[in-house]
Amino acid sequence: MLILAWRNIWRNRRRTLITLAAIALSVTLVQAFHNLSYGVYQSMIAGGVRAGSGHLTIYRKGYVDSRDERLSWRRGDLAEQAAALPGVEAVLPRVYLPGMAQSSRESRGILLTGIDPRAERPINPFLKGLDDTRMIRSLSGRDALVGFRLLKELKLKPGRKFVVTVQNRSGDLASELFRVRGVITTGLKDVDGRLIMVGLKKAAAMAGIGGEIHELAIILDQPRRDRDVGPALEKLIHNRRQLVVIPWDRAMPNLANAIKLDYASQKFIFAIILLIVTIGVVNTQLMSVMERYREFGIILAVGATAGRLRLLVLTESLIIGLSAMLLGSALGSLATLYLSRVGIDLRSFVSESLEFGGVIFDPVLRAAWDFGYMTQIACYVVILSLLAALYPARKAGRIQPAEAMRKI
Amino acid sequence: MSLIQLDKVCKTYRTGNLEVPAVVDFTATIEAGEFTVLAGPSGSGKTTLLNLIGCLDQPSSGQVVLDGRNVATTPTRKLADFRLRHIGFIFQSYNLIPVLTALENAEFTLMLRGVPQQQRHQRVRELFALLGLEGLENRRPNDLSGGQQQRVAIARAIAAEPAVVLADEPTANLDSRASRELLELMHRLNREQRTTFVFSSHDPQVVDMARRVISLHDGRLADDRRREP
Repeated sequence: MLILAWRNIWRNRRRTLITLAAIALSVTLVQAFHNLSYGVYQSMIAGGVRAGSGHLTIYRKGYVDSRDERLSWRRGDLAEQAAALPGVEAVLPRVYLPGMAQSSRESRGILLTGIDPRAERPINPFLKGLDDTRMIRSLSGRDALVGFRLLKELKLKPGRKFVVTVQNRSGDLASELFRVRGVITTGLKDVDGRLIMVGLKKAAAMAGIGGEIHELAIILDQPRRDRDVGPALEKLIHNRRQLVVIPWDRAMPNLANAIKLDYASQKFIFAIILLIVTIGVVNTQLMSVMERYREFGIILAVGATAGRLRLLVLTESLIIGLSAMLLGSALGSLATLYLSRVGIDLRSFVSESLEFGGVIFDPVLRAAWDFGYMTQIACYVVILSLLAALYPARKAGRIQPAEAMRKI
Repeated sequence: MSLIQLDKVCKTYRTGNLEVPAVVDFTATIEAGEFTVLAGPSGSGKTTLLNLIGCLDQPSSGQVVLDGRNVATTPTRKLADFRLRHIGFIFQSYNLIPVLTALENAEFTLMLRGVPQQQRHQRVRELFALLGLEGLENRRPNDLSGGQQQRVAIARAIAAEPAVVLADEPTANLDSRASRELLELMHRLNREQRTTFVFSSHDPQVVDMARRVISLHDGRLADDRRREP
């Protein structure tokens, strides 16, 4: 039966090849473009978590929604304990304070961010490009990194002084003099126009919160380690009920929602592609059955059951589906390999940096392997090929031999 | 008990609002080992009668009993199995499966019966030797002459050693020499293997060689003659 099915599908070589090519091409397209999106999303998430919240973040309850600077908390040795957990690459304590920056000529609203420069520098993509001469030197010094646009708006230059004023915990205004040490360019208009980074202790002292912080960002060596590290962090804070562990998608809802929305629209397109392919297979198989109406009558006449005939049609479709799946997956892998190594360079199309969901991403789009999804699509295609053959198979099984043989 | 019993069999086809009687009140019995021809002009009901005997169609009224089994009351699946084990078919236009080789076509019914490949090949090679088809095992139907294709169809029909072989105008597409050879071959199989043959034909050559000729006219039994061998 298998030999018969195999030879049957090659009766109309051109039609089979067109069907095969259509299915294989759709598998290739879906796999390659999913992997490209997956790679871009991964890179956005990686950039986002390293510059922003971390894969997992410890906050005081209510801070994520309110961003109320009064919701700071004493970290104690929590940072050291978290850093010792397997899978944790870095732990970044941060203080965030809204305030005002004044140069001799201009003043602007800012977000003062207190960081640990030693811990932050190897992780944060915006700090990686800064050499020692342009980096904050201590936790409590007057060095400041200023956003590119803010620097322009305040009409400052590296080395120049400016004053930052914030409201401290007791409601009084606290001002400090800082010196521009380096300039940060994130590509995000809003961030570049508001960001000032200073030493963690200096920021905390201005806010009057001593050794407290607002955010403890946990960077993982593998994003999937969050399944182990998350519960371990929960254990560490179980006796500090005011704290919560938040995953990146809750800490950065804009990015998470933008990715979800983008991926949902892609899934819709993928579904349409697969639907068109299924209709194509139904059409091919139905034509193939109708063309062999008389022959099926003969096969039934010599003693084959309707079930065997149905099985024959399903086997033919399964062979086409499997062949197309293998071919499509091979081409999809090659396309992914190319897209992961070379990528799609958008630099000639866009003059400025690309922002998505509040995160800057590389204008050279690169794919990443998502083997789980590739396998899923491969299985879908085989299952769809079988489903597409159900109606033609049913039709074949209902042929009446005497009636079929009367047809010329 | 007779191998084939037809009792007051009627078969009517419906074409739009018109009812066309193909077989009317046909009664006959055929014994095992007979070599029978259903003779008559085109449209006299020969093929319909063969289809009824071969369980490919159900009578509109009357009874078709094969080897003690009433066709009308037997489920479709069992009828398929009955055809596979007891009936061989030879068709006017050979009806071989074009994508299979001569050998694969001939062994098709054995394959459906689940006979192991080695046994199938042995049986088919014996038949090919008997039918003069040696050396043609791997040819596809399109690469065979009409006579060769019909002999492969005979091999397919008799490979599973059915009780009865039904042949619908088997010589219609053959020249007179190929027809004669084919008939002699079937005669020999009838004599040597006691296979029952029921033909439909209006070919005088076929009618002359039959030991029993059942003549049909407008779907009715017109004559039933037996000849001494």
